[in-house]
Amino acid sequence: MNPFQYVRATKAKAAIDARAGDATSQFIAGGTNLLDLMKRGVMTPQRLIDINKLPFDKIERQSNGLRIGALALNSTTAEDKQVLERAPLLAQALNAGASAQLRNMATVGGNMLQRTRCSYFYDPAMPCNKREPGSGCGALEGYNRMHAIFGFSDKCIAVHPSDMSVALVALDAAVLVSGPKGERRLAFGDLHRLPGDEPQRDTNLEAGELITAVEVPDSPFTKHVHYLKVRERASYAFALVSVAAALSLDGNTIKDARLAMGGVAHKPWRLTEAEKSLIGKPATEATFQEAARVAMQGAKAFKHNQYKLKLAPNAIVQALKNAAAVS
Amino acid sequence: MEHETPPAGCPGHDEARRTFLKQSSLLTALALAPGAVVRAAETEFDEKVAAAFEKVSLKLDVNGVKHKLSVEPRTTLLDLLREQLHLTGTKKGCDYGQCGACTVHVDGKRVNSCLTLAVMQDGKKITTIEGLAEGDKLHPMQEAFIKHDGFQCGYCTPGQIMSAVACIREGHADSEGEIKEYMSGNICRCGAYPNIVAAIQEVKNGGQKV
Amino acid sequence: MNNIAALQDGKAVGDRMSRVDGRLKVTGGAKYSAEYELPGLVHSALVGSTIAKGRITSIDTKAAERAPGVLAVITHLNSPKVPGFAAKSNPDEPPAIGQPLRVFHDEKIYFNDQPVAIVVADTLERARHAARLVKVQYVAEQHQTNFEANKSKGFLPTQAKRNPKSAQNDYTRGQADGYQAAPVKLEAEYVHESEMHNPMELQSIIAHWEAADQLTVYDKVQAVKGTQRAFAKDWGLPEQNVKVIATFVGGAFGNGLHNWPHETAAIIAAKVTGKPVKLMLTREQMFTMVGYRPKTWQRIQMGATKDGKLVGITHESVGQTSTYEEFTESTVQQTRMMYAAPNVSTRYRILGLDVSTPIWMRGPGEATGAFALESAIDEMAHLVGLDPLEFRLRNYTDSDPEKNKPWSTKYLKECFQAGAERIGWSKRQLQPGQLREGDWLIGYGMGVGTFGANRGTAKARAALLADGSVLLQSATTDIGPGTGTAMVQIASDALGLPTDKIRFELGNSLFPQAPSQGGSSTVNTVGSAVNDACLALKKKLQELGGAAFANVQPEQLTLSGGQLGLKANGGPRMSFADLRKANNGQDVEVTTESKPSGDARQNYSMYSFSVHFAEVRVHAMTGEVRVTKMVSCADAGTIVNQKTAGSQMIGGAIGGIGMALHEGAVMDDRFGRYVTKDLADYHVPVHADAPPVEVYFVNKPDPLVDALGTKGIGEIAIIGVAPAITNAIFNATGKRIRELPVTPDKVLLA
Repeated sequence: MNPFQYVRATKAKAAIDARAGDATSQFIAGGTNLLDLMKRGVMTPQRLIDINKLPFDKIERQSNGLRIGALALNSTTAEDKQVLERAPLLAQALNAGASAQLRNMATVGGNMLQRTRCSYFYDPAMPCNKREPGSGCGALEGYNRMHAIFGFSDKCIAVHPSDMSVALVALDAAVLVSGPKGERRLAFGDLHRLPGDEPQRDTNLEAGELITAVEVPDSPFTKHVHYLKVRERASYAFALVSVAAALSLDGNTIKDARLAMGGVAHKPWRLTEAEKSLIGKPATEATFQEAARVAMQGAKAFKHNQYKLKLAPNAIVQALKNAAAVS
Repeated sequence: MEHETPPAGCPGHDEARRTFLKQSSLLTALALAPGAVVRAAETEFDEKVAAAFEKVSLKLDVNGVKHKLSVEPRTTLLDLLREQLHLTGTKKGCDYGQCGACTVHVDGKRVNSCLTLAVMQDGKKITTIEGLAEGDKLHPMQEAFIKHDGFQCGYCTPGQIMSAVACIREGHADSEGEIKEYMSGNICRCGAYPNIVAAIQEVKNGGQKV
Repeated sequence: MNNIAALQDGKAVGDRMSRVDGRLKVTGGAKYSAEYELPGLVHSALVGSTIAKGRITSIDTKAAERAPGVLAVITHLNSPKVPGFAAKSNPDEPPAIGQPLRVFHDEKIYFNDQPVAIVVADTLERARHAARLVKVQYVAEQHQTNFEANKSKGFLPTQAKRNPKSAQNDYTRGQADGYQAAPVKLEAEYVHESEMHNPMELQSIIAHWEAADQLTVYDKVQAVKGTQRAFAKDWGLPEQNVKVIATFVGGAFGNGLHNWPHETAAIIAAKVTGKPVKLMLTREQMFTMVGYRPKTWQRIQMGATKDGKLVGITHESVGQTSTYEEFTESTVQQTRMMYAAPNVSTRYRILGLDVSTPIWMRGPGEATGAFALESAIDEMAHLVGLDPLEFRLRNYTDSDPEKNKPWSTKYLKECFQAGAERIGWSKRQLQPGQLREGDWLIGYGMGVGTFGANRGTAKARAALLADGSVLLQSATTDIGPGTGTAMVQIASDALGLPTDKIRFELGNSLFPQAPSQGGSSTVNTVGSAVNDACLALKKKLQELGGAAFANVQPEQLTLSGGQLGLKANGGPRMSFADLRKANNGQDVEVTTESKPSGDARQNYSMYSFSVHFAEVRVHAMTGEVRVTKMVSCADAGTIVNQKTAGSQMIGGAIGGIGMALHEGAVMDDRFGRYVTKDLADYHVPVHADAPPVEVYFVNKPDPLVDALGTKGIGEIAIIGVAPAITNAIFNATGKRIRELPVTPDKVLLA
């Protein structure tokens, strides 16, 4: 790692001001992704602002949902009673990610700000527009087995690696942000962005903005939910494709549905049209197949990720089947 | 017990000068060392400027021993344990949080010591494999690993054991399947997995205090 | 507890004794190469090339040199010349089998991430960071790393060209390509990507010049004596001036069977700085600097009669190597001797690419070859409509058809039977795709493995110490199988002394000569030496005992109870104290050498055998494969320790799961650089991937291999596992996937 200055913030404002005034600085919370990237020379902040002392680790019940502090640990969140009761899909997604140790370190805010696992991004000797704008996308014509089938650009075809975020986007969560200009609230779907011409920007956060909490609104999706993660080994691996599926059933009829995918785009990929296709239909495999067909419209694969065109719809059907079964 | 551990390999170390960064006082520190100076130090490699903020003080309780240390901010907890405290039972297997060999307990929680800075653990209680046994009496998990041959080369073993103890304490050892899932962050290349699971089950079912 | 039980049973060999070094390993007390504290020790980091072929035009080390704490930056421009490097010509034109990369010798680049500089600093953090500040300019040349594009350039290894007796030569039994005459024929190609040993311990060394001509290395190697010789030769030193310590080795699986550039880099750095230098590779460097199982293409052509008798097999193979060393392995060996086919042809080739040199990885070429052969056997069984176990029985051979010699022992049929019962082979359906539970398709498969029951020459020292214990020493290593434990058990029986009175020391070049730990031959080789040394010690004690013991048969003697005596009650007794007195107060000590019997090796063919059975589940929608049960059966001669030997078998099975389902390093040939190079991108099995593995040992001695009757376990534990799994996948799904690893995408698209 490059030498850097380390400071520990005890007040959010101090942290935000410090970060806003110095583009070479980074917040550090769990550090599980940032330090990994720093060790490899992918990120070289000159100053780390430790925010772990900030009072953002509570998980609270609010009138219309849950408020999960950005510093709540992944493990704490996944096992929180309120979360298990009101947002079991989120708990499932959290537990599908990383390892028990990493979940004990990684925070909710850090999880959503994970950077892509694209091998080209991770190797400073390789071209990558996200790491070094203008150097080219190594994956475009290279080894792109893990890469996007939706929403990519010719500058970047990387995918977002977070499982948690897939559940949060499906659950219509919102992100609370504190920044130099005050506080604001983003729909979770607006937090991450597509690469376009600026793949170096993962999110729509402004300089100095700090995620303080995520809000998960109450929903009827407490029973028929399933987070399906297809990966190359049985645990402790990033998703080839993942699906967050949530159904609200009246008998066998789908009253409402939520569907999102991971491992397919630069951001957690909400499948709004597919959700619409489910509503009012019987919870049958045929219905799920149709939703999968709708979900896959516009998908385009590269040399090594053709399989995702088959795996993704299959995974959608499987996740919906699992969700529909009484859990 | 309180140990004052001298920093490794830093002759002429001036504790007072180098620990002017009081961790509690964010803004003073920033005022003293604006980013521009930091950047200058980085590009110019001016030893004096770099030295001015190269070390910070740190208090850690490691296996019941209190240490007052002085570390570079970039020193990971793992490298601090291995290279400065010479507690080499905690292993480096990947350095990226991908293998679990470096697993230790921080305030009772299992974490990958390679992916956290030592300075971030200021004031915390660290338990490593060296702190698990009570004197000559091995921890039940250590006994069970020996009995079930839960290792071959032994390199992942400290991490497996620290993780296994936590797995039971967390309540994630109720079935073989659950143990396997919650132990998957600890890779054993020799493939001792079934023996490790047997060891954990024996300790869990034996009801011994872990 | 175990020790007492062992003595009461009267025999330590065969006991499930816990490891003698278990306590050290579970307490963190076992010291691996990077964990020695030496005064003045400094740290280092390597800089790797970012091109695959070409030459360095300039290196800017100024920034690194000026970085805080940096003691030295060493490149080919300022490195002291290693005397041994000059002796040979340019590695571009390899003599015989080439020359290991000469680190920092010149400006040439032979592979991507080749070490081009080492940075030494007072702390690890400073060394690592300064290494990033070294800026290297290159002139790149067109590299060739694409295996498929270059496959036709595969060539017969030079050693085969020079030596007609080399096993690497083409082989024909009966008619060349005689399979063609058969009524039922198949042809299939099998490929796997390069696999990385990826032991959990990163390759590490502490190099310390204790004097200008005295080198000590704490080094992660499988051969302390071989390493001693290699570095003595490199530095023009007498062998005894080089000391190599490898007391604990954190896994190796073969990658410690060669000396690698990073070791010499650290030795150079220690020379330049005059301090002990520690170097631990990064996980990425483990993919480029310490060998790997080479990417291999294989083609099997097979012919059989309609009733399932093999007519012929032709097996061709092309394995990757570097441009500067010809790495070879026995990929086609199993095809030559496993089945009673009258016509067998094998052709082995290697392909030099602009990559680093491979090295044997567990079950080495045999595991690669068994994937092709045992898959093809399964395919042929399917073609002729036979159960693959029955098909193998119809082509079973009771003598070695390659060498025309009897087997020393072969109990493979017993393994077949035991394994079939334990896996529940009767549940297997002849036609694939018949068994299903929910969304999971279920299948069963088997694969056979074999590996030579090799034995080398080794020495061991045995000494009766003043405290009445016996100390044994031999310069072998223990990469995990439990060598020390097995040796203590062997010695206990040979001496008639409880295991807790015996200590076995290894991993030090000061100890008597032993070969590398590799090729499943340690117990055969070193165990024999230990056995012989113990018998010699007893004989010497008997002599010291004088007339009272003159007419006693040595096997009647024991050392228990602090005295030399007879197993039976009564008879002469003499205390150790008196024996030492008779030896002028010195430790009674012997060193012996043990060699395999040439006659037996002339007249018999000696192999270990294994069969692996797998039950798999394949998800119909996602293509995920889970191995849900494995049974591994071994005919490995006498089993010295059922517990540790069982662990080796389990470990091999899980390694085989990795080979079958997870492992494969992918290179982007545009850059000649790996894109999967850490444990997140290159997957090895985790806990959740490991099924229960049941182990069955025939446990019948093979007295022709060695006096203990052992044959070797480490390799056969993995050989045949991968095809057992892919065959089970076929049985579950009807999909035949001939390219490893079988990841979900391949299953889905098959």
